[in-house]
Amino acid sequence: MSYFFQIVVSGIVVGSIYALAALGLVLVYKSSRVANFAHGQIIAAGAFITFFLTVRLGVPIFFSFLASMLITFFLAMSVERIFLRRLIGEPIISVIMVTIGLASIFDGLIYLTPFGSENFSFPTFLPTESIVVGGVSISWTQLVGVIITFVLIGCFSWFFKKSTVGISMRAVSDDQFGAMSVGISVPRVFALAWATAGLSAAAAGCIIGNITGLNFETLHAFGIVVFPVVILGGLDSILGAVVAGIIMGLIQQFASGYLDGNFGLNGTGDVMPYIILLIILLFKPHGLFGIHEIERV
Amino acid sequence: MSQNRWLATGNFFTSYKQEQRTFFTHLDRTIFTCFLVILFGWPLVFEISNKYMLVLDNILIAIVAVMGLNLLLGFAGLISIGHAAFVGIGAYTVASVCQVIGENHVIVTHFWPVLIVCAGIMGAIFGAFVGLPALRLKHLYLAIATLSFQMIFEWVIQFMSFFNQGQTIYVGRAHWLTGQVGRSDHYLFWYYIILTIVVILGFGVRNLLKTKYGRCLVAVRDNDRAADAMGMNPGLTKVYAFALAGFFAGVAGALHAYLYRGVGFESFTLHASVGYLAMAIVGGLGTLNGIFWGPVAIKFLDIQVEQFSEFVGQYLTSAPNVATALKPLSFGLVIVLFLMYEPRGIANWWRIVKSYTKLWPFRY
Repeated sequence: MSYFFQIVVSGIVVGSIYALAALGLVLVYKSSRVANFAHGQIIAAGAFITFFLTVRLGVPIFFSFLASMLITFFLAMSVERIFLRRLIGEPIISVIMVTIGLASIFDGLIYLTPFGSENFSFPTFLPTESIVVGGVSISWTQLVGVIITFVLIGCFSWFFKKSTVGISMRAVSDDQFGAMSVGISVPRVFALAWATAGLSAAAAGCIIGNITGLNFETLHAFGIVVFPVVILGGLDSILGAVVAGIIMGLIQQFASGYLDGNFGLNGTGDVMPYIILLIILLFKPHGLFGIHEIERV
Repeated sequence: MSQNRWLATGNFFTSYKQEQRTFFTHLDRTIFTCFLVILFGWPLVFEISNKYMLVLDNILIAIVAVMGLNLLLGFAGLISIGHAAFVGIGAYTVASVCQVIGENHVIVTHFWPVLIVCAGIMGAIFGAFVGLPALRLKHLYLAIATLSFQMIFEWVIQFMSFFNQGQTIYVGRAHWLTGQVGRSDHYLFWYYIILTIVVILGFGVRNLLKTKYGRCLVAVRDNDRAADAMGMNPGLTKVYAFALAGFFAGVAGALHAYLYRGVGFESFTLHASVGYLAMAIVGGLGTLNGIFWGPVAIKFLDIQVEQFSEFVGQYLTSAPNVATALKPLSFGLVIVLFLMYEPRGIANWWRIVKSYTKLWPFRY
């Protein structure tokens, strides 16, 4: 039975990171209807900036965490300003392809730095021994990571529910022309959505980096796995992203915990999100909490 | 038609039948014939090394694959981020035949044209199957559905022992009328075969676009409800566009398997899919000649970047991996810059040149 609970715990850990990573994607899609395929690269960039500041420059980890969030904030904002601003009104394939191209550019830029192809790990700043409760163990980094994730998600949802900027962002996502006519600057909202996405991506990158170690391949793989998560939750729902992230994390851990090695299967954890995705797309394409915008032909 | 058929400047058609012709002017047809003669004839005059012949073969295979993708994306307006998986299905059809009956069985070596067509049909079946979500989904959702197909394909290949877990499965040498195709003229032989297939399929696409079925694709792309109102069946058209794209990709995959004499998992990853998308976009979506420009441009860029990074690598010995960095960088830059400044691709340049020379010297 403790095996079961162990899987539940690790599923929640993985899932909450998915939720944080998916948050950025949802924010961008919600405001500007752009699916950002370069999200994984921004996550990686955030993680490596933190690593660079902490290890190479010796900044305390808390400050470098904040600094990298600030840097990716402006990075994502400038991405929107330079590339996406020109594409407003273009067909959706152009927008998707531009973000895929951006992913490729970021790949190249990160490979140019020394972080491209090796494994790194953050210096430990938490106790290394795990907490064991009834046979279920969770390490301090995982616990702190999950707590930070939920605090951040709470902050973000407060930001969207209560703050003026958040409300204007929701207004833009509902009706761009209506928002414009009451004096909301739509381009500014787009930029802000990208910037907050960058912020959450950096946070996700740091937490993943602390838990699993820093490796560019695994970090930017998150950019693709996040898509099943946001489809499950509904592409424009923050609550959906959180719930779906945890569901997806649990499914993945259960698949690799129980299916791998049993029925001649291996690596089911990696493929499970996509199988789930196909099933959702067939039966409930707008996801759990998404709005019904799918039309049949 | 004007009296002098060499100087036809303008539209002189008097019947619909004339407008349906493959080549509009005599000059078009002459240039095309010369072009074909040059493409088929130059290997007899120049002798180039196997290395460069392989590059040419690669470009031609990419052209076959991009033909399917351009039909799907440019003409039917359906996004597919899983095109490399369809190519992989073609290749793995050949590979699984080799697994079952042995890589040097007479079917593999002598009846390869049949096997190539079979691979195409297999691709079409899978294409139609993957296209089923297109009945309900649009745009981004469809893109992600095809993406998940790509991921599932990669997983199946990597974890099934039947497919050798993604390791290379060997394919026997093909036989020709003169006997087995030897090591030295293997690439030359496949150059001719692939070129023939490209020409046949190119005419196929050209003629398809003149029929009801091709126009269906364009109508559904532009407005599927209007197409529905006009009596076309948009759902069926979408599925059939996917099947068509799958057929082209399957043929490309089988050719890939025979050219490399083996099938491995690395050639059909997500990265390759993005490469095909880039080729289709750089060439020009929804144009026939863009199918040919795109692969040539992207593969040419690849080679140039490789040579450049070798050159840089000589001077920057400490730089970790310039080649791995420059490749995605230049590739991404090309995609982004084309989409920002020339969304209609290289085919648009060709169109400008053509419209300039068409009425030359009378520019009014």
